[in-house]
Amino acid sequence: MRARYPDTDGLLVRDGVEIRYERYGEGRPAILLLPTWSVVHSRHWKMQIPYLARHFTVVCFDGRGSGGSSRPADASAYSDAAFASDALAVMDAAGIDSAVLVSVSCGAFWALRLCAEHPDRVLGSVFIAPTAPLVPPLAERRVQRFGEVIDDPAGWQTYNAHYWKTHYPEFVEFFMGRIFTEPHSTKQIEDAIGWALETDGETLAAAHRGLECCDAAATRRLAAQLVCPVLVMHGTQDAVRDYAEGEALADCTDGALVTLAGAGHFPHARDPVQVSLLIKQFADRIRR
Amino acid sequence: MRARLPDRQDVVQRDGVHVAFEVFGQGEPALLLIPASPITHARSWKGIVPSLARRFTVITTDGRGTGRSDRPRTPECYAPAEVTADLLAVLDAAGVDVAFLVAHCHAVPWALCLAADNPERVAGLLAIDPAVALAPPHPHTMEPDLRWADRVDAPSGWATRNRQFWRQDGGYREWIEFFFGQQLPEPHSTKQYEDTVGWALDTDAEAMIAEREGRAAPPAGEAETLCRRVRCPVRVLHGSDDRCQPVARGRRLAELTGGDLVVLEGAGHLPHARDPVKVTRLITGFVDSTTGAPMHATTWTRGACRPARVLYLSSPIGLGHARRDVAVAKELKRLRPELEIDWLAQHPVTAVLDAEGEHIHPASRWLASESAHVASEATGHDLHCFQALRRMDEILVANFMVFQEVLEEGCYDLVIGDEAWDVDYYWHENPELKRGQNVWITDFVGYLPMPDGGEREAFLTTDYNAEMIEHIDRYPWIRDRAIFVGDDEDIVPDTFGGDLPAIRDWTTEHFSYSGYITGFTPPGPDEVAPLRTQLGYRDDELVCVVAVGGSGVGQALIDKVVAAYPLAKKAVPELRMIVVTGPRIDPAAFPQHAGLELRGYVHRLYQHLCVCDLAIVQGGLTTTMELTAARRPFLYFPLGHHFEQNFHVRHRLDRYGAGQYMDYATTDPDLIAAHITELAGQPVSYRDVETDGAARAAQLIAELI
Repeated sequence: MRARYPDTDGLLVRDGVEIRYERYGEGRPAILLLPTWSVVHSRHWKMQIPYLARHFTVVCFDGRGSGGSSRPADASAYSDAAFASDALAVMDAAGIDSAVLVSVSCGAFWALRLCAEHPDRVLGSVFIAPTAPLVPPLAERRVQRFGEVIDDPAGWQTYNAHYWKTHYPEFVEFFMGRIFTEPHSTKQIEDAIGWALETDGETLAAAHRGLECCDAAATRRLAAQLVCPVLVMHGTQDAVRDYAEGEALADCTDGALVTLAGAGHFPHARDPVQVSLLIKQFADRIRR
Repeated sequence: MRARLPDRQDVVQRDGVHVAFEVFGQGEPALLLIPASPITHARSWKGIVPSLARRFTVITTDGRGTGRSDRPRTPECYAPAEVTADLLAVLDAAGVDVAFLVAHCHAVPWALCLAADNPERVAGLLAIDPAVALAPPHPHTMEPDLRWADRVDAPSGWATRNRQFWRQDGGYREWIEFFFGQQLPEPHSTKQYEDTVGWALDTDAEAMIAEREGRAAPPAGEAETLCRRVRCPVRVLHGSDDRCQPVARGRRLAELTGGDLVVLEGAGHLPHARDPVKVTRLITGFVDSTTGAPMHATTWTRGACRPARVLYLSSPIGLGHARRDVAVAKELKRLRPELEIDWLAQHPVTAVLDAEGEHIHPASRWLASESAHVASEATGHDLHCFQALRRMDEILVANFMVFQEVLEEGCYDLVIGDEAWDVDYYWHENPELKRGQNVWITDFVGYLPMPDGGEREAFLTTDYNAEMIEHIDRYPWIRDRAIFVGDDEDIVPDTFGGDLPAIRDWTTEHFSYSGYITGFTPPGPDEVAPLRTQLGYRDDELVCVVAVGGSGVGQALIDKVVAAYPLAKKAVPELRMIVVTGPRIDPAAFPQHAGLELRGYVHRLYQHLCVCDLAIVQGGLTTTMELTAARRPFLYFPLGHHFEQNFHVRHRLDRYGAGQYMDYATTDPDLIAAHITELAGQPVSYRDVETDGAARAAQLIAELI
């Protein structure tokens, strides 16, 4: 059973792609919990929603390629612009003019795009463990060769389109272990694996390719246009996106940085209380 | 001593009337605190200014009619338009465009006018116990107020609020004493009562009458209209037991302005004085809810990743605590090597901690100086330490707010407070603020009255003891462990006063005993002679060390001892006297004699005390117990009116059979010389001082974590 069910939910169709969204609670400002990479769907916000919805209007949706949304096959369907347009369509459908954005990991791409290109609809932006390719990737990920055929891939080499065709569950298990570096994270890992297995390797590969254009230059360009208040939180034990990425994003957006000492890549799942309190504190400040 | 002095003290002048203001701090936004003048003035905010000023720019005014402001005698001078014009002039003079207003009682209508007429200057309004005619007044004030201008025979109670009566000899004072007795219904409010009565007597009946008749507070209909014109955020605080202004007024004010109402249950009319911690936090919270709490770069450490951390507070009053606390901390680290200990401490404790390589929390620099306050309270050989502690109230609350912030940011598992009165008192007053485990350490329990303080002092000490006992009865979970530095027999045989229990019984029930903690190991019998040689003392001389501690208190005692020196030297030719004046007394200010050496500072003074043939000291516990542990003969002169030195320390020394008690007032140089002659170099038969006190205390603490 869920701790809280949505007050309304629905499906919207944009360019033939169905997007499933949920709306909870009342109160200003609205908070839009953005999707991350399509490996998980909106249930990854399950620890935040019941609390935030007691204070704010909360809207979330399954990113294209995940959950109850469509799984387009073409990589071009997964651009950051596409996700950003989905977010605007969800806001329209949910009756939200403007919102505080909360993103995790590569959700930072669509958050940045929304902030830069639709400032009238964004009140502020919280970036959790952001993907911000402004610094070199983590050392252990430099073995990744996404498009190449690799014999007996191990570790981050399993982040590989060919491998996912046949061994998607093995990759998911590895990947979720890297998301949760904190001891005693079995439940969080099981949850995330379950959500990941609701989609498939081909879809995820398309989603990955759709984001290959999101490089340092694009990130810098969007960040430079950003005018809203920003909060970045990043775990020092993040084994998926380097802590230095969060630092760099906070720096170039003039945002506040909260260092989560000892936290991994999904602090909103592993340290939900602290992350929810930080989101509320940020949103309270926006409300005024 | 004030907890924080203003950064700027100035006046504005309008139509020949001077209105005083003070500015503290420089943060954003600015807060303008508006007292209900002239019955009170800027000092009424003393409990909340120091902590607010660490974040905000805080401006206080006295208001026309009191404090450092002029006291015009005509009612027109007190018209609301005049007062609000003063406040705008103060904002202008302070260079503040926009401010939050904090106003009390009948200052609230002025603040409402400012907010309604000058919305661009007012960011928000926090009203405390507002006197706004939005609901009927208390019935007990209605009839007397109708007769304000009448001649009333022998009025009592609220009827003393009467123009004719105030003009009678003593009438105004009688009214003030009655009024503030009503405004502080909270038990144990003696200090707040004395303060507020004192401030009210800074003005006089004529200024009060002129203000009352010129006040022209808006009647009900106008007041509603005024409230509806206010557009800024509003918060109202109202004591449920406010006998000046009914809560209904505060409630209606919040309704009409769209503000929030915080009812302070059990509070009277002066919550900013009686519950300064809560009021400060409500003001800060209100500003934050309006402007948004600042979000700084910060670190949150996962619970599982945190080292076990201790915040240690060591009382800066006297150096004795520092040494024993370092000893306890070392024993604690021996038991629990993984512990990280931060010290929230101030001079002179920090000097000891620095020398020991201990880590001092950087927020320590925000602490208001308790030792400077105590020094400022001393005159001659006299320190009324109970009253000094009472008058330290604003320093204690200022320092508590620093402590609480440190604690909330620092993830400490344990707080150790060696006579950290601020933490102990304000956690019991605001129990919801307690975090982590808490150890309370003290070497005396119970305030005792000095005989010449009469009934009043006996009443006050009993009241303070009663409050402490009630605190601990009601919230036994605030002190997770209470450690008495000593044993049950070290506790005086007195009671807490009145119907309160015997101090020893109560302490045994509520404390653990650690035995005495010296903080050092005295030299053994074989070590004395080499140490004497090392310090430059010969075997054939009798060395008398005179020490008066580091504060300026001591000149009077040194004068007497120096006067005794020639007499003693005549009787004891081998006498050599070392007088340690401390850093604040000039050694050159005393007469010179052969064999008498005056030194401003002596490194490792306790070593000298350990090998001397006689010591002459004040009645402080640490020094006298060092001498006891080192088995030296000594004369001790408790400071006058210092209940701890006169009763608690003396009782303990009697138990150890140590030292010769001396009454400074009745002792002349002849008597001192006679004692020097009699005691210098003589063997003593003191009870042994335990050497395991620090280890026992550390064990008691380690059991908690």
